[in-house]
Amino acid sequence: MDVRDLSVSYGTTKAVDKVSLHINSGEIFGLLGPNGAGKTSTLSAIEGLLKPDSGTVLVDGVDVQRHPAQAMSKMGVQLQATSFQAQLRIKQIVQLYAGLYGVQLSDRQITEGLNAIGLGHETLKLFKQLSGGQQQRLSLFIAVIHDPVLLLLDEPTSGLDPQSRRQLWSGIEHLRDQGGSILLTTHSMEEAQAVCDRVAIIDHGKVLATDAPDKLIEQHKDDPLVRQAARGAVTLEDVFIGLTGSEIRD
Amino acid sequence: MTSAPSVAAKPNTRLIFTALLRADFIVFLKNRRSLLLSILLPYFILVSTNSKKGTAGLGGSLFVIGLSITYGIASTSIMGYSLAVARDRERGVFQRLRVTPASTWAIMGSRLIVQVVANLIIALVVVILGGRVHHLSLSAGQYGLVLLVSILGGAMFLCIGQALVALIKSSETVNSTARLLYIGLILLALLGQGGSLGDTWGTVARWSPVGTVMTLFAGVLNLSAWNGREVESLLAAVGYVVVFAVVGIRWFQWEVR
Repeated sequence: MDVRDLSVSYGTTKAVDKVSLHINSGEIFGLLGPNGAGKTSTLSAIEGLLKPDSGTVLVDGVDVQRHPAQAMSKMGVQLQATSFQAQLRIKQIVQLYAGLYGVQLSDRQITEGLNAIGLGHETLKLFKQLSGGQQQRLSLFIAVIHDPVLLLLDEPTSGLDPQSRRQLWSGIEHLRDQGGSILLTTHSMEEAQAVCDRVAIIDHGKVLATDAPDKLIEQHKDDPLVRQAARGAVTLEDVFIGLTGSEIRD
Repeated sequence: MTSAPSVAAKPNTRLIFTALLRADFIVFLKNRRSLLLSILLPYFILVSTNSKKGTAGLGGSLFVIGLSITYGIASTSIMGYSLAVARDRERGVFQRLRVTPASTWAIMGSRLIVQVVANLIIALVVVILGGRVHHLSLSAGQYGLVLLVSILGGAMFLCIGQALVALIKSSETVNSTARLLYIGLILLALLGQGGSLGDTWGTVARWSPVGTVMTLFAGVLNLSAWNGREVESLLAAVGYVVVFAVVGIRWFQWEVR
């Protein structure tokens, strides 16, 4: 995926300011930033939900603004707060989204797929009757149901217990190993360090630094602000605080 | 993640629309209680006005049947549709659908088709019940015309519902406003057309959305009396559709920020 000079404004407020990103095949890329830094706006513009002021987003060579439907068919998306139609059962939700992505699945294939994520016995339940971890697993299953070349995950592990989080990480890494590109936003530096091959730190709509977590630590470990934030050995979180500041954002 | 053979190279519009329609019809069937209520209330009106005095007070049998059908389709279109859209928007259901290859027109079009089917069911059931209760015998052509008017009337009320969710963000406020609007429109047509509110309000009621649809229903149920009044109502109904559709589409937001 290529994002070039992407800018998004809300009225006079510039939420994303000429952001450029490139994500390779078989790479997990993390977008890190404090609240209001422009992560979700960047992601929304990539997803085609927001019309950018300027810039282009190419997914597997397809321009998201010019050919949204074709671009969407190459993307899998897991939103921060996913919600499906409250009256639909799990199996019906899977059938709906398979149809939307042009994937024809038999009942047996749906059951096998749900079995693989541990939801084989929940096919007749409503989405709200699933636990948080089960909901996230189902959302991820639906996000990759059409075998996308790019997977976008907006804070995928927020609110999950450690077991569910680890399971989701394994799932994401498995997708990466199959050659997919993954862009995720997260507030968890532990998560970024554990699963991301590269990260970009974004604040006030601008990309401040992009590199592998270890390399970012190496590059910034001697910065005075990073040293000030460190409590022992320098971590990615210290680099993050050093670059974006320690004041609380709303 | 990159080698599924069953994925269509280009988004398949037919598959997308079929999937949306299927899901929306499932949701519609799960909400069959509200459909039943939209039929029971008109049925209650038909039965409770089944006397010479009661029927005459409301302008005759044909007007009562027209009023009953209008009650039914207005309740499901103004209250049911607008609330369902407002709630799904608040829950993020639309947001999730919009990050798929489905176009916004397909997402909304599928819901509207389901709603049109609901309106047709209500109209057909009520006109059959009305014919029996008020001892009217209708031709196949008249049934066809009743269905056509319910499509037009339903479209008008759906556009009003769409305008409501376009102008109001909170589902709670949409819910209360839709109820007030529904009751207001029905009372205006009922009392205004019945003459209880005087000439000025009578004219307002006659040109109100409910008034125009009631006139059209009464017109198609008694084709020999069809005249300029019905033609004017037809034009007014089309005008309402256009105005509320423009408002409903122009100001509708897919997410609540």
